[in-house]
Amino acid sequence: MNHGLKALAVGLALSVSSAFAGSGTTAEHIEAATAAYKKVAKETSYQWTVTVQAIKAAQKALDAGDDKGARELAHHAMALVEATRTQAKLESENWKMRVPK
Amino acid sequence: MKKIISHVAFGLLGLSVSAAAVAGPAEDRAAFQKFYENRFPDTPVSDFQNGVYSILPSARAQWEEIEEFPPYELAIERGEEIYNKTFANGKSLASCFGDDGAVRSQYPNWDKERGMVVTMELAINECLEANGEKPLKYKKGAMADVSAFMSYNSRGQMVNVEIPSDDPRALAAYENGKEHFYTKRGQLNFACADCHMYTAGNLYRADTTSPAFGHATSWPVFRSKWQAMGTLHRRFAGCHNNIRANPYKAQGEEYRNLEYFVTYMSNDLEFNGPAARK
Ligand code: HEC
Repeated sequence: MNHGLKALAVGLALSVSSAFAGSGTTAEHIEAATAAYKKVAKETSYQWTVTVQAIKAAQKALDAGDDKGARELAHHAMALVEATRTQAKLESENWKMRVPK
Repeated sequence: MKKIISHVAFGLLGLSVSAAAVAGPAEDRAAFQKFYENRFPDTPVSDFQNGVYSILPSARAQWEEIEEFPPYELAIERGEEIYNKTFANGKSLASCFGDDGAVRSQYPNWDKERGMVVTMELAINECLEANGEKPLKYKKGAMADVSAFMSYNSRGQMVNVEIPSDDPRALAAYENGKEHFYTKRGQLNFACADCHMYTAGNLYRADTTSPAFGHATSWPVFRSKWQAMGTLHRRFAGCHNNIRANPYKAQGEEYRNLEYFVTYMSNDLEFNGPAARK
């Protein structure tokens, strides 16, 4: 299951980054990831610690003039947001099967 | 570690088929406790209050040695001082909780008026604030000390959490805690139940995980890793951080409901806090 989720995250990272690849400034990509993070935090009532770390790292890279690195980190954060959403969705039912009978 | 988890997940898929019957808290608890009794047949039921040491004979002797000169002794003394300190209005914590503060088994409880779970730490701060005193921080320090003093004087009381059946909000709070316990969270995709139930006794990095049966009995604890006392909610937050999930606020609704569920699952064990942990 862990593997599944990781694969999912990687898959999303690829699809998100290709969708984003051409358009927008890196700052806009970071903004988009931040907005998505806030939205999913509201929806699921929980978050992964690594997402906000990735967003912060993206901003830091951008401030340091590393546009490519910043963009990659922003896309990584976006993928983490999507994986969080997927986890929450799966778990809204799956938790029940772990309750001993 | 991952291998173990996915095996567990597959094993469980089979179980889910029989999920039709609606179980209430009492049925949940019976099944929960039975799970641990079956999984650890060598552990006497009453011993589950001792955390990981109830299932880890190799660490037990050293732990018992530590408990002979308990590292939480100073915390109890500091807690007693705070407990008896006179407030500006002439009262003290004893005005709320009696001379010795031996009220551990009254918590967590369901406050029908406010429709919420009240834990002992929350009640301590509410007593302080009702008397015009500043509230304490929930995870460590003075709060853990007061809690240690009160728990120490309550040793031997039985865990006896009630989920009143005449208030559906109490059941909802319990269900919320239950869902939390069994729900996978964080980037590492673990539920509390993965580590503390289905793989209890396995190694995670350098630590063997304890059974969740008994999880709420021994608090607060002096933990060697912290080199200090900490409350149950501090530990909840630590486990969340470890699986890369954002922790919730100590004494917020989410953790209070989780405590309600976990403590209810340990009904009929003894409160035996404070305790020493690795
Ligand atoms: C990745 C595995 C893992 C997950 C998931 C996990 N924990 Fe833990 N937990 C540990 C380890 C390791 C320890 C330290 C050894 C032990 O169990 O006492 C610990 C300790 C604890 C303790 C202290 C037990 C004691 O007697 O000192 C409590 C309480 C606890 N966890 C509750 C939880 C709750 C509640 C959750 C879900 C929110 C959770 N844990 C999720 C690994 C985990």
